[in-house]
Amino acid sequence: MAEVEHIDEIKQYIVAKLGNEQYGIDIAYVDNIVRMQKITRVPKTQPYFLGVINLRGEIIPVMSMRRKLDLEDKEVSNATRIIIIKPEQNALLGLLVDEVREVVTLTEEDVEKVTYENGREDTNFYVTGIGKYKDTLISLINVNGIISD
Amino acid sequence: MDLSQYLEIFIDETKEHLQSLNDQVLIMEQDPDNVDTVNEIFRAAHSLKGMAGTMGFKRMQRLTHDLENVFSEIRNGKMSVTPDIVDIVFKCLDALEGYLANIQESADEGTEDNEEIIHLLNDVLNGMDESGNRPEAKTETTEPEEKPEQAEAAVSDEDKRKFLTLPIADFEKNAMKEALENGMNVYGVTVYIQETCILKAARAFLVFKGIEPLGEVIKSEPSVQDIEDERFDFDFSMFIISEKPLEQIQKVISNVSEIKEVYIEAFSPDQGKTDTKKEAAKEETVAESKQENPKEALSTETKKTTAEAKKKPVVNRSVRVDIEKLDDLMNLVSELIIAKNGLVSASENEEHAQTTQFNEQIEYLERITTNLHESVMKVRMVPIESVVNRFPRMIRDLSKKLNKEMELIMTGEETELDRTVIDEIGDPLMHMLRNAADHGLESTLDRIRVGKPQVGTIRLNAYQDGNNVTIEVSDDGAGINVEKVKASAIQKGNITEEQAEMMSDKEAIDLLFQPAFSTAEKVSDISGRGVGLDVVKSKIEGLGGDVEVNSVLGEGTTFIVRLPLTLAIIQALMVEIQNEKYAIPLNSIVTLEDIPCTDVKLVQNKEVINLRGTVIPLVRLDEILDFEPREEEPENLIVVIVKKGDKQAGLVIDNLIGQQEIVIKPLGKYIYIHKMFSGATILGDGDVALIIDANTLV
Repeated sequence: MAEVEHIDEIKQYIVAKLGNEQYGIDIAYVDNIVRMQKITRVPKTQPYFLGVINLRGEIIPVMSMRRKLDLEDKEVSNATRIIIIKPEQNALLGLLVDEVREVVTLTEEDVEKVTYENGREDTNFYVTGIGKYKDTLISLINVNGIISD
Repeated sequence: MDLSQYLEIFIDETKEHLQSLNDQVLIMEQDPDNVDTVNEIFRAAHSLKGMAGTMGFKRMQRLTHDLENVFSEIRNGKMSVTPDIVDIVFKCLDALEGYLANIQESADEGTEDNEEIIHLLNDVLNGMDESGNRPEAKTETTEPEEKPEQAEAAVSDEDKRKFLTLPIADFEKNAMKEALENGMNVYGVTVYIQETCILKAARAFLVFKGIEPLGEVIKSEPSVQDIEDERFDFDFSMFIISEKPLEQIQKVISNVSEIKEVYIEAFSPDQGKTDTKKEAAKEETVAESKQENPKEALSTETKKTTAEAKKKPVVNRSVRVDIEKLDDLMNLVSELIIAKNGLVSASENEEHAQTTQFNEQIEYLERITTNLHESVMKVRMVPIESVVNRFPRMIRDLSKKLNKEMELIMTGEETELDRTVIDEIGDPLMHMLRNAADHGLESTLDRIRVGKPQVGTIRLNAYQDGNNVTIEVSDDGAGINVEKVKASAIQKGNITEEQAEMMSDKEAIDLLFQPAFSTAEKVSDISGRGVGLDVVKSKIEGLGGDVEVNSVLGEGTTFIVRLPLTLAIIQALMVEIQNEKYAIPLNSIVTLEDIPCTDVKLVQNKEVINLRGTVIPLVRLDEILDFEPREEEPENLIVVIVKKGDKQAGLVIDNLIGQQEIVIKPLGKYIYIHKMFSGATILGDGDVALIIDANTLV
């Protein structure tokens, strides 16, 4: 059983960039990464939802990570990607990010847990911890947090 | 013994029998002297007992056994039908439904013995028969169609060895000869199954399975396939090649339960019908051990005539298909339609593809996909009968409970709906019927006072209307008292008095559909008035339908439910608003109009148009869909007139694209969807377009 525990300590993250900040998404949740494509606007929905896309015949909502994290909108560039994640509810969701960098492996020692005192309202709720990788910091996204409201 | 493969059949057939029992007992209650009904009830009860016994559901068998006894007495005229008996019988049927529900869930009947009901049934029997005759003993002797044993004995063994008369093909003859030369035995066998046996095919299957390790069946009559499909009477014959002695095979066959008789003897291919010296083994022990089945001794004569009558399968050939498989098929059809739409739009865009042949092929493909879609849809269609047939019984019970006289008249039960809709529509309909019975209809006294017929009438009428199915539930009761509804809403704080003043009757009635709204002066356990109507509404809307109420004070109330025929694929009008495409389902569209801007008038600060004498409010879709306002108004407006019930509205759009068959897809989780959108669809070019639910805009 020692081996199993060992595996639990190591997690891989997809690193995405929003402006100068780096965000990590647990690779276990990531289904796919696609280039920017036409997003159909859905009127009257939550402001951080850009709309829906057609991914191989399935309609998937796309959320702007910038809007979700209260950042300014940025123009779509060649590097813009939609990370398709599959949270535990098993339905797909797209996250629009500026750029996808790399996959990193972090052990438990590399991660500093974030504790919440201000409660749910804080945008920090969307971040579970800060990962240290080489000499950069990566905010680790709480996938179930961003879909829960 | 593995009976699981028959469980499904058992469940289906039990349901049918219980339904027919319910129906027939209702008829019996009205017309206690109807002999046909009593016979029908007896048959259904008897079949139920046999089936439950075969499947090993002992408690169920016991209960049906006692039920059967009661009916047997009624049938023989030794007992008359009283309301008490009917009540007990209904209780018993409910208990049986309870068993069935358990079986459906866990393949086990559960542990409820229903002693009380059995007790009641026995009281009924004993009350009628003080001399203490055991009811079981009676049923066995009171079978009128039971012919005396002698009749059977009169038929010679010769005739019963049907294998002797089987035609034998040359190759079969050769196989037999060869087997004999190799020191094997050839046996001719005829097996008779008890007439009371319900799962004949299962029994026959067990016979074949038993023989399999002992030898080879070289011919059977009817064919194995026919036997499996239950296309045989109560006997079948076969030839077996085996090394084993005759007794062993005979033992194996007669060990299968519900086998009445087995005739087996060594057979030589040259044997004619005259050769009777061979020893015929008659197997009676099984039959003796099965005495509890009273109907077993049908005469052979009857058997023969029915055998001829039953040669051809009476029912249409059908296959039971798992609904999931149909869903898969439906999904594939949807994909195909999307792919076809892609081809169509490609052919429109690219000039080089504009050859006649290419277009012809695309039209061909279009035709096929549309037909394919229709066929798959049809497979999924189920008559609403399967939902509504339990309502007469429910109304009867309500009538007793509420002490009101009422009757239910149902029409259009054959109207078909998609299976997924059928599964969901039962509860809302039941709720509306209960409302009608409890609150719609006045008490019998009140009805007499206002000069209405003493018996209240509830109608359930279903019919197809274009791409929709309409179900109307109406009563001839007091109607909805609008003032009372308003007063109650004010009291609850749902609306203010000023709002109440302004409200039309229709708007007031719509208040009934608000969550937890009840005007019940007296809340009964059947339903509080209005309670749950919000659930009815949301359920029906969840199915893509809508519900409407018409009520005339003093004359009655009608609930009108409209449901889409199909859920997945619809015809829609594609429109453009600024640069975005939207789909509007065709079934809610009345007409398309070109209206000069000057014709738009303002009434109470709302834009309306006067279309051939009807004033129709305009809905600016660009405003509703949060577009930036246009800089200048065009001279003419393109208006799509949509309807919901008898209300209309005009949706203003920028451009018409055309009619298209679209596949409705859900918009995914997480994202909030305004109720004006009923879903989305994928267009030929791969883009997504939202579907506007026009009902929410009227």
